Amino acid sequence: MDASEIQPLTQFLRQLVPFDSLPEASLLASVRHLSVAYYSKSMGHVPLDESHPRLYIVRSGAFEVRDEEGELVDRLGEGDFFGFPSLLSGEAISNKVAILEDGLVYQLSPDMFNNLRQESRDFDRFFNRAFAKRLRHQGRFKAKELTTTSRISSLMTGSPLTIDCSHSIRQAAMMMRDARVSSLLVTDNHKLCGILTDRDLRNRVLAEGFDGTLPVHQAMTRNPVTIGAGALVFEAMLAMSERNIHHLPVLEGEMPVGVISSTDILRSQGSQPLMLIGEIERQKDVASLIGVSKKIPELLQSLISADARAEEIGRVLTSVTDALTRRLILLNQQILGQAPMAFCWLAFGSQGRQDQAACSDQDNGLLLAGEPDEHAAGYFEALSRAVCSGLDECGYRFCPGDIMAQNPKWRMSLERWQKVFEHWVKAPEPKALMHASIFFDMRPVFGPQSLFDALQDKVLAGTRDNDIFLAGMAGNSLTEAPPLGFFRKFVLERDGTEVKGIDLKHKGNALINDIARVYALSAGIKEVNTAKRIRALMELGVIGRKDALNLADAHEFIAHMRLANQGVQYRQGQEITNYLKPQQLSSLVRHQLRDAFKVVHDAQSGLRLKFMRSF
Amino acid sequence: MVSRAFLRPRLWWRSRTIEDSLARALVDSQRALLSVTAEAAPMLALDLEMTGLDPGRDQILAIGVVPIDGGVIQLQDAESILVEIRGSVGQSAVIHGITDRELHNALPLAEAMNWLMQKMSGRILVAHHAPLDLAFIRANMNRSLGMSMPLLAIDTLAIERKRLLRVHEVIQEGSLRLGASRQRYGLPVYDAHNALTDALSCAELLLAQLAAIGGARTCIAELVTFCD
Repeated sequence: MDASEIQPLTQFLRQLVPFDSLPEASLLASVRHLSVAYYSKSMGHVPLDESHPRLYIVRSGAFEVRDEEGELVDRLGEGDFFGFPSLLSGEAISNKVAILEDGLVYQLSPDMFNNLRQESRDFDRFFNRAFAKRLRHQGRFKAKELTTTSRISSLMTGSPLTIDCSHSIRQAAMMMRDARVSSLLVTDNHKLCGILTDRDLRNRVLAEGFDGTLPVHQAMTRNPVTIGAGALVFEAMLAMSERNIHHLPVLEGEMPVGVISSTDILRSQGSQPLMLIGEIERQKDVASLIGVSKKIPELLQSLISADARAEEIGRVLTSVTDALTRRLILLNQQILGQAPMAFCWLAFGSQGRQDQAACSDQDNGLLLAGEPDEHAAGYFEALSRAVCSGLDECGYRFCPGDIMAQNPKWRMSLERWQKVFEHWVKAPEPKALMHASIFFDMRPVFGPQSLFDALQDKVLAGTRDNDIFLAGMAGNSLTEAPPLGFFRKFVLERDGTEVKGIDLKHKGNALINDIARVYALSAGIKEVNTAKRIRALMELGVIGRKDALNLADAHEFIAHMRLANQGVQYRQGQEITNYLKPQQLSSLVRHQLRDAFKVVHDAQSGLRLKFMRSF
Repeated sequence: MVSRAFLRPRLWWRSRTIEDSLARALVDSQRALLSVTAEAAPMLALDLEMTGLDPGRDQILAIGVVPIDGGVIQLQDAESILVEIRGSVGQSAVIHGITDRELHNALPLAEAMNWLMQKMSGRILVAHHAPLDLAFIRANMNRSLGMSMPLLAIDTLAIERKRLLRVHEVIQEGSLRLGASRQRYGLPVYDAHNALTDALSCAELLLAQLAAIGGARTCIAELVTFCD
């Protein structure tokens, strides 16, 4: 048979993911190996032959997959597949496929299916249950060339120039001259102990009349600010501008692997977020600060259109929020005077997790070093009111749940904060758990790290391995489930009801945040960013490598879809929401999104198993 | 047309008069299938492309066949051939798109008829507007093999007409065509006038019709059209 003559089938498969990735010869061979059946509604179910598993491809009609317990697993229309799980796993068929509308179904033999999987990596990846691997290998979600979201390692030049601290200043200067560099890393036993720059040679050596034969450690800047090789260029820029320095040693672990200078960064150009933060830091009053904040939506749009990773967009946007918050605190302190005691401005929720997107609410609080007297209480009330209303005017709406520093309830001494957390952990009632999901994602935006550490260490000591509390948290996070499938134009909940769109935030990312939080608290992990939490959990072996990568990929993918969708809404002048309409999705994205939600569903099952089995 | 009650004895009697052993085996195998249910009977959906509509004068250009086994269409054994003709395809090329040039590799009529007999053996034919296809096949077998044999086929057009007449008094022109019929069952739109594609279209239509009339358990004898 000349397979090309069966044009309609060839045409159909050619545009169907993942058959579209097959070489022409394999495509024609698979058409040749198809068989075609027609199932009518009156039959009830598709007769699945235990001894002959195969791949079913829906050509017309509508079908519904249910598992042994009768729970709806999927609804299928044109171009959807069933039967492949047992083909892949070799396990017996356990699902039933009900016929909702009469339809034509193509079937592919296991031999042909396996051949195609061997022949085409794309095809295999699509059907393989390790589908998240596919998402990761897709170039599409990598950031394009964009200063703000590229990594330091991309700008860093080769191996850094280093000198042992016992060498002389003159030797160091000669090295710098010969290599035509403006800085030198100083090491002690191969570990970084300082940095020597042109400015040090001018200000310390020449101006002070130092002898060039003196050892270099007398002239260098000790314990310089450093940055990790994996950090974003943008974060390096931030560190430099905050501290007014021009060189940052780049470390991998404790080993210096390079230096990044402000010139390197300037050369890479186009530092929109940094310029915005720089502008924020230059503003002299609240009114002008509010003016600058109007540029934030534009920044978000340019990040979205640059196709940056969702995680990085979250970090960039949160950095802007952090900068605004800090500036508001400093500006108000210029009016109110210095604080009567040390304090931390705490960010909770999305700002805490560093995953802010468009139109975030405020979630913040104030941590005081000690119990305030009347004067101090008045000071902090005035400060927090001013900062919260400043943030509101900058576009960060007041928290509907009133979790804000201006609420006296969330403005407490270290000791009282510790007691509040202790109470939540000991008596995990629904309201406490609801709070906990916001408060446990906390991060200091302003103030001494040590004060914050004193709170966080105590909190984590209380949650770690605390079965009852963790079961409560797990149970709380299982009340929502990811949507099941996109059936034609509709999205289905797990109970089979239809909704108008996919709530990517509450049915997607929030669920992953919840899962990562419960595990992180159980393991006493300090990280609050979801991606970092998952990575830490993987490194500690709390979550298996494959599951962790799948979950991180699903998180990134869903977040990316949400941002991309908001970008479209913004450009079309629509209201910015978390709802995605499935009819806009291509067949590939639909499958991927479905896979991502499947990962979330599986992770929820894992969570239930680990934390709730005894309850 | 012969009344259904006489089909079996008639076929038996006719097969006795056929000298060619292959042809006799074919008629016997079809007779044996008359009491088998539609879902179990091996079938062969068939479509011909012709130079015109007169079996006495016009010629077969292409034959497409698609087997159906146990109610499932098997594309692996789907096949089509081109048939050698006397003269030119002429104006009919407008319909089927087959040009004289393509017919260079065509099989001589006798070979084509032998090929078809082998394909048909042990299977019940299925065609849309079967009497026309059957008439062409009979005429050409007569011409090339020098024998006249009875043929049985399930006619998807006849099934569709019956179904429509149950609902409508008058059947609109064109509504019994293959494409229009398929549309009523929500079957995908295929390009028409390629023998293989049309045979597949017809096979799919039959499966849909059987599902709709609950005909899978009906005996073949109830469904066939006879041509002698």
